[in-house]
Amino acid sequence: MVEANNTTVTLQVHRFTPRAERAERARGGSPFARKSSPFGGGSDSAARRRPRGKQWVQEYTIPARPEDTILDCLLTIKRTVDPTLAFRYSCGHGMCGSDAVAINGTPTLLCTASIRDWAKQPGALPQVDEEGFRHIGEDESMSDASSNSDATDASSADGTSLGVIELAPLPGFPPQRDLIADIDPMLNQIRKLTPYLQADGVLATTDEGKVNAFEYLQHPEQLAKYETLSNCIACGVCEGSCPVFAGGDAFIGPAALIWSSRFINDSRDTKAMERMDAIDTADGVAACQSVRACSRHCPRGIDVGEEMWQIVAKVRER
Amino acid sequence: MSPKRLEDMYDAVIVGAGAAGLSAALGLLRSPEITDLKEQGIEPKILVVSKLQPLRSHTGSAEGGIAASLGNIESDDWHWHYYDTIKGGDWLVDQDAAKLLAEYAPETVINLERQGVAFSRTEDGHIAQRRFGGHTRDFGGEPVKRAAYAADRIGHQILHTLWQQCVAQGVEFAEEWYVTDLVLTEDHSRAAGIVALDTHTGKIQAIHARNVLIATGGAGRLFHTTSNSWDLTGDGMALALAAGLQLEDIEFVQFHPTGLAHTGILLSEAARAEGGILRNADGEAFMERYAPEHKDLAARDVVSRSIMAEIDAGRGVADPKDPDGPKDCVWLDMTGIDPKRMAQVLPQVVETIEQYANLDPTKDLVPIKPTAHYTMGGLPITTDGEVYRWNGTHHTVVDGLFAAGECSCVSVHGANRLGGNSLLDACLFGTRSGHTIAARIAENPVDSPMADDADDELLTSAVDQAAGVRAHELEELLQGSTIAEQSENGDATGENAYALMARLGSVMERALAVRCSADTIASALEQLNTRIKPAVEILHAHDKTAAFNQEVTAIWEVQHLTELAEAVLRASDARHESRGSMRRLDFPERDDEHFLAHSMVDKHGSVEFKPVVITDYPPKKREY
Repeated sequence: MVEANNTTVTLQVHRFTPRAERAERARGGSPFARKSSPFGGGSDSAARRRPRGKQWVQEYTIPARPEDTILDCLLTIKRTVDPTLAFRYSCGHGMCGSDAVAINGTPTLLCTASIRDWAKQPGALPQVDEEGFRHIGEDESMSDASSNSDATDASSADGTSLGVIELAPLPGFPPQRDLIADIDPMLNQIRKLTPYLQADGVLATTDEGKVNAFEYLQHPEQLAKYETLSNCIACGVCEGSCPVFAGGDAFIGPAALIWSSRFINDSRDTKAMERMDAIDTADGVAACQSVRACSRHCPRGIDVGEEMWQIVAKVRER
Repeated sequence: MSPKRLEDMYDAVIVGAGAAGLSAALGLLRSPEITDLKEQGIEPKILVVSKLQPLRSHTGSAEGGIAASLGNIESDDWHWHYYDTIKGGDWLVDQDAAKLLAEYAPETVINLERQGVAFSRTEDGHIAQRRFGGHTRDFGGEPVKRAAYAADRIGHQILHTLWQQCVAQGVEFAEEWYVTDLVLTEDHSRAAGIVALDTHTGKIQAIHARNVLIATGGAGRLFHTTSNSWDLTGDGMALALAAGLQLEDIEFVQFHPTGLAHTGILLSEAARAEGGILRNADGEAFMERYAPEHKDLAARDVVSRSIMAEIDAGRGVADPKDPDGPKDCVWLDMTGIDPKRMAQVLPQVVETIEQYANLDPTKDLVPIKPTAHYTMGGLPITTDGEVYRWNGTHHTVVDGLFAAGECSCVSVHGANRLGGNSLLDACLFGTRSGHTIAARIAENPVDSPMADDADDELLTSAVDQAAGVRAHELEELLQGSTIAEQSENGDATGENAYALMARLGSVMERALAVRCSADTIASALEQLNTRIKPAVEILHAHDKTAAFNQEVTAIWEVQHLTELAEAVLRASDARHESRGSMRRLDFPERDDEHFLAHSMVDKHGSVEFKPVVITDYPPKKREY
């Protein structure tokens, strides 16, 4: 169906194939190896998780339309060009959270990113205006002009190129194969902060002492305090965007803090104090530098940076 | 997350980590039997194996609600819910099961709330409820607000809450392990365990278990246009067929009327409830002709059939994204809805249309077509979750084998599922099967010093043998790449698993989507057997690194889909009537005399029929 259109897109994919078996054995081989670091723990285990293998950048040029998602393009590649390309995907409409990668260096979901929004003409660098500002995002008139003028250069015999998109695995996590990264560190951090409701178990009663409901009562305004937080899909976009987390510093990460905050703000939960104690650490809330890059591409529209700010304040005030 | 080391024997292995699988794990671990065992210091050995990381399960995409006669907004009665479920299923519902579903629905929903689900609330703090198609008061009267909801994200809330509770219980997961075999003992009388591909290492694993629960979800990927995620390839159903078991009522597939044209992504029924109108190529609001009373808001199967009738009559339109393509869509006209109101009450619908169709629903007509949404049929189970065989006269339970959720068929949905009943089925019968398994474990737990492990050798050897065969096949699939490279024409067709899956989806869609006849079924069977199956048999991987080799999984998925497709086609062929979601153009009437019965199909295409359990409500004509 895409053949009806005469446009193409080029995807530059950072690929990686892990080396089988041998690397694993070599790592586990000597009992004296890797004991040299007196700091042990985290960084060492992270290093050990990083598999070795072959790395390269592969370019695919395929027919596509501006409104296609990048996930559409990758699935077309699997079907028609290269079935070996590996990337996670499932629901295809931004709910399952499995397809977070770096698109042109920015963490976001493959299935919500369209070519229109992400394709760049080759060689086009971000422009600095007369006042010295570099604009983020596409300036409508500028991008139109540039695509027109570049059209002849960029187009191949098959059609007009919509541009180039660079894809790499989610930053901050060890790559496992092609665009698949190991996000277990994030899930483990979430698990560490007792991410489940701990309520009092008491049944609500009327003034006369009769049980009047079996569910915990919660008023709409109480729900509003944490509802948005409960929409997190644990995709890891905020973590990959965070220079502290993705930079490799000791930080429990924005996702785990969002989950913790979700329960701290839930009127049914009885462990708010314990939860705040647990994150009031050097690698907990104190590690957040308020960069707020975490807010930019949250697929569920959570203002992660603002929520970080709120939870930091709450922890300090307790 | 993967287990550091597999146990030699598990008390139970649960395959699938959506609402059904996680509910079963929790039902099992919280049961009085397991609590007792733990007090004696005996730890149950449980493993949940899932193809995806659990938070990615398709349960998370459910939007509307979960049905229960809580009566929080207006008075309700579980007997009404019970009746609605039977009528919605066009009387192909086992009434003993539907009775349990309706009676224990309030308990199920309240337990979900108490575990943490962020339900929307009434002003006085109770769980909020909304209307849903087919849910009525007084046995078919006025619509009633019965669906408990959490904005338009009830599935996400339930999935995350159940996973959170599993974290609290310390449930062990084997994530991104793809199950390739369901293994029974040599005499086929009991479950022995499973074989799975650990996709991280690329190794085949033999998992021995005294109890196995299959909770792998539906099979929407049988069809090109589906609201289902890419992973719903009917794995559990195909595993059962391959193990020599039957599938019940597998010919019944619900098509939701409004899938966004080329994507199949769901546009909620709310779009029509708010004033959206379906139009054909001539601009005619055609639903007035098919359902003069309810028009665009008639039952799902009625609307889907009307759309297909328009398309078949040549009044369909092409997807604007594919103007030269087939005219297999109709328009959803939302331009009559006030733009402000649209933004306020249909945010998700608007976002989907803008993002995935690049259209503005306040100005543009939106192309839609019916999208494969739910498989009513599946592994036949008792109301305690036990899988059984049917020989034409009586049923025999397979010892230690259980199923729950969309891949199973306890038959609460019959020939057509009501909205709000799928999450309920998965949570309620998932929990029940967990309880049944717990009682079996208590009789003879693996960890007990007094355990009777006399039969374990039987289980272990059966699973190990299957794993050996599978490991050999894996090796051949991976080496296929080398062979193909060496011989110039080895890869001549250029076809791979992904392309084949798409081809199969088109064949099935042409033959079965919304309506079918002996001719469309015969033609699909012919294509399946002469074109698709031969192509599937010669598939191989194009890269020989086993770790994270998604193509290997895709090859096994397309094998599963082809096996299942044949069963679906055979079962459809055997039912000479139209009922619920099943519309036979050559047999347009319901035929209670011959087909008020569940079909039971096996991998050889042989179909037996099993009587429907009717206890309270004799069949009537189904009218809305």
